[in-house]
Amino acid sequence: MKNSIKIFIPNETTANSVGANSMYQVISKLINDDHIEIIRNGSWGAFWLEPFIEIETDGIRRGASYRNEELSDLNTIEEFFLDFETRNPFDINEIDFIKKQHRIVFSRIGHDDPLNIEYYKNSKGYQSLLTALEIGPQKTINRIKESGLTGRGGAAFPTGIKMQTVFDQDSSVKYLACNADEGDGGTFSDRLIMESDPFALIEGMVIAAYAVGASKGYIYLRSEYPLAKDFLIRAIDIALDNNYLGNNIQNSDFNFDIELRIGAGSYVCGEETAMMESIEGRRGLVRSKPPLPAINGLFGKPTLINNVVTLATIPALLLDDQSDFSQIGSNKSIGTMPFQLSGNINHGGLIETRFDISLNEIVKDFGYGTKSGEPIHAIQIGGPLGIYLSSSMLDTSLTIESLQELKGSVGHGGIIVFDDSVDMAEQAKFAMEFCVKESCGKCTPCRIGSVRGVEIIERLQKNKTSKDDAALLHDLCETLEATSLCAMGGMTPNPIHSIIEFFPNELIEK
Amino acid sequence: MSINSRNIIKPFIKEKGGLMPALHALQEHLGFISKDDIAELAIAFNYSQAEVIDVITFYDDFRLAPIGKNIIKICQAEACQSQNCKQLLGDLTSYFGLEIDETSDDSKITLKEVFCLGNCAIGPSVMINDTVIGEATAEKIIDHLKNDDVQKI
Repeated sequence: MKNSIKIFIPNETTANSVGANSMYQVISKLINDDHIEIIRNGSWGAFWLEPFIEIETDGIRRGASYRNEELSDLNTIEEFFLDFETRNPFDINEIDFIKKQHRIVFSRIGHDDPLNIEYYKNSKGYQSLLTALEIGPQKTINRIKESGLTGRGGAAFPTGIKMQTVFDQDSSVKYLACNADEGDGGTFSDRLIMESDPFALIEGMVIAAYAVGASKGYIYLRSEYPLAKDFLIRAIDIALDNNYLGNNIQNSDFNFDIELRIGAGSYVCGEETAMMESIEGRRGLVRSKPPLPAINGLFGKPTLINNVVTLATIPALLLDDQSDFSQIGSNKSIGTMPFQLSGNINHGGLIETRFDISLNEIVKDFGYGTKSGEPIHAIQIGGPLGIYLSSSMLDTSLTIESLQELKGSVGHGGIIVFDDSVDMAEQAKFAMEFCVKESCGKCTPCRIGSVRGVEIIERLQKNKTSKDDAALLHDLCETLEATSLCAMGGMTPNPIHSIIEFFPNELIEK
Repeated sequence: MSINSRNIIKPFIKEKGGLMPALHALQEHLGFISKDDIAELAIAFNYSQAEVIDVITFYDDFRLAPIGKNIIKICQAEACQSQNCKQLLGDLTSYFGLEIDETSDDSKITLKEVFCLGNCAIGPSVMINDTVIGEATAEKIIDHLKNDDVQKI
């Protein structure tokens, strides 16, 4: 009898964007032997290697990068195997990019077909849900409080405390809303969970809903993620078929359903109150807080809102070895953070690690420097509302606290590298232009202030030494910060402040 | 409103906040939201027509007139900026002779800009209909449009 052979070809947006799907088409046509099986796995998140194709024989799994390769001249599967061997295949778990990470939340991505529920169960999946159902809601919330988990969306609010607030509300109807409107430029960790480990999100949602007493959950997914939509639809169906969703989940008296809602191209709908408006079928205008969504949220009911990564982290906190997570880091920066390295970088991808890692380690040890080979000039951290750091600040630690000291935030963990061709005045202008484009329009400072901001920066681009415009920009930023209803207007000045402070003479000359 | 549209809307009427999914479903079938559909949606969801138009016009994805069969979205967010996405946008607008948000006379192409496709590690990125293309160049995009799975140009 022949030994079986498994060929892993990822089915994930980035891998497909550089040809994984076409390679699957070619290779699957060559197979005429039932001892060879193709598995469309998730991506390992080492995106510079994609399409990264692996072959497993006799329990040994090795892979090779097929970036910029065509396979169309192959005639037989044997030719493919011979070609594969010429590419010096290796075990991906042996490369530094993966070895140096501390993958807890992303421990499963890349290994198998993301919709293979048997694989999910055999790799600790659904154990935590059973634990939660056994220990009950309050003890589940206690475990999450003790873990030190904070929201991975931007505000870094303690997840357990938010859950306690929803739990404490006396209401027969409560909701859970998963924010999957991952809109920050340079971020893709939510997408990677949804495409490459969707059951982790579903399990996290069921546990969270059970803990706070919600019977219905929404996933608000941005429309720019069609493959994530496909995976979620199928994963929800499979979870229903296996009684991990629906009525009497795992023979308990807990009922919970998930409805997938698709956004329509609005960044501000990632702001939690605008997201609720959108789910309710209206324009995505932000609401003023209070009331907090935890008290008066979706359809006027107490609502737990978390993003994808936060919810997908919850199962890891209820495992016996949860201390793995909680013993990493200090203060608010507890556990691991999935940083997403992108832009002008050689080795971009998903890096799950402790917070207390220097920018230098991320961009040099993991990223291998700029793709262009030119010097690094700026690094944007935390999305459009985050800050730009200069190349002299590479020893900055990426903890929540250390970025707060620089008036920035970890945000959703995006790290974008720019080489020395970047024009920082243009980046400052873009911050305001983005706010013009995406402002919901409800409050004046954001709606009109952003347009004024573009105008002032355009003048500064012509005359960097204008003291009047420098003062006006300063006042405008102060107004946006102090009087905007939500973080869109309130934090749009962050990148601009950082450019003025860390890139002297590039926007304003003193 | 055609019977077809009415059938498309029907499953969403009883859903809480069903207007957004109804708009998505309508647009997927018909390509845009027509005046007749707005009137029917207003009745179905007990909104004023003004409120329906309010929702449609707030979101980039919804449209009140048909656009091209192939929608080409060129990412202009920060990670792609570091990979010269402005140059790519210029190359594509001049190749097709179209501005952003413009549709070709033969209705085959509409160019749009988008802010982040989540494909940031290998930018610049472009989305053609539902397909994302990484390390995009004008040549790659034009080649892709000759494939079978798009409306050939």
